[in-house]
Amino acid sequence: MPSSPRPALDPIAGLLAIVLPGAGHLYRGEPKRALGIAAGVLGLFFGGILIGGIDVIDSKEDRLWFAGQALVGPVAIVVDQVYQNAIKVDGQLPEPTPGETPNATRSIGKVNEIGTLYATIAGMLNLIVILDAFLPPRRLREDDRRVV
Amino acid sequence: MITTLAWRPFLDPINLHDWWYLLLFPLALGISLTYRAVRQTSMDGYPRAVLSLTGQIIVGISALGVASYIVIIVLVPMLTPMPQ
Repeated sequence: MPSSPRPALDPIAGLLAIVLPGAGHLYRGEPKRALGIAAGVLGLFFGGILIGGIDVIDSKEDRLWFAGQALVGPVAIVVDQVYQNAIKVDGQLPEPTPGETPNATRSIGKVNEIGTLYATIAGMLNLIVILDAFLPPRRLREDDRRVV
Repeated sequence: MITTLAWRPFLDPINLHDWWYLLLFPLALGISLTYRAVRQTSMDGYPRAVLSLTGQIIVGISALGVASYIVIIVLVPMLTPMPQ
């Protein structure tokens, strides 16, 4: 039975996938797939921030969670840097005081847990996406599936 | 005087503390969008596959929730009754 040649590793697509979710597949000429990936990963990441506030991305206080979130790519690093440098004051989120609006509100309870989970799942899914962009695709084509 | 601050998206947490379980729906959709985009052979049936996987995740998680409830609320008190 003739087997189709395995495509070579695609380091450029892998690097692009690390830079922005979906960019690697867009480079490989799969725009619909790239759109689905970008909508899923970035939707979950920013959905998590929408649910729990920017407090869910915190490399200082939630180091282990941030390790998973950072897999989303530079977007996660930038959001964390904005939080650490532009929103926190002296490494702390200021407590709300009468007549003064804090830069952001610390999230607690279920919305904090779920927001953190959203952003971390986004990062873990993006790891699958990066591997799929970098390694030869293992998806069976319709022709191969009929033979199998 | 009580003042309530307006919700600022992405800065303040959303006020869904009592309805947190509804957040399972967008979570399942996001996972399905990404996973099916990677695994789908052809993108022709992509929307249907995404909806199917979203439903499977929601049903699966809900079933786990019901099973946990039965174990914790019904079975455990039945097997190890608290002394009166």
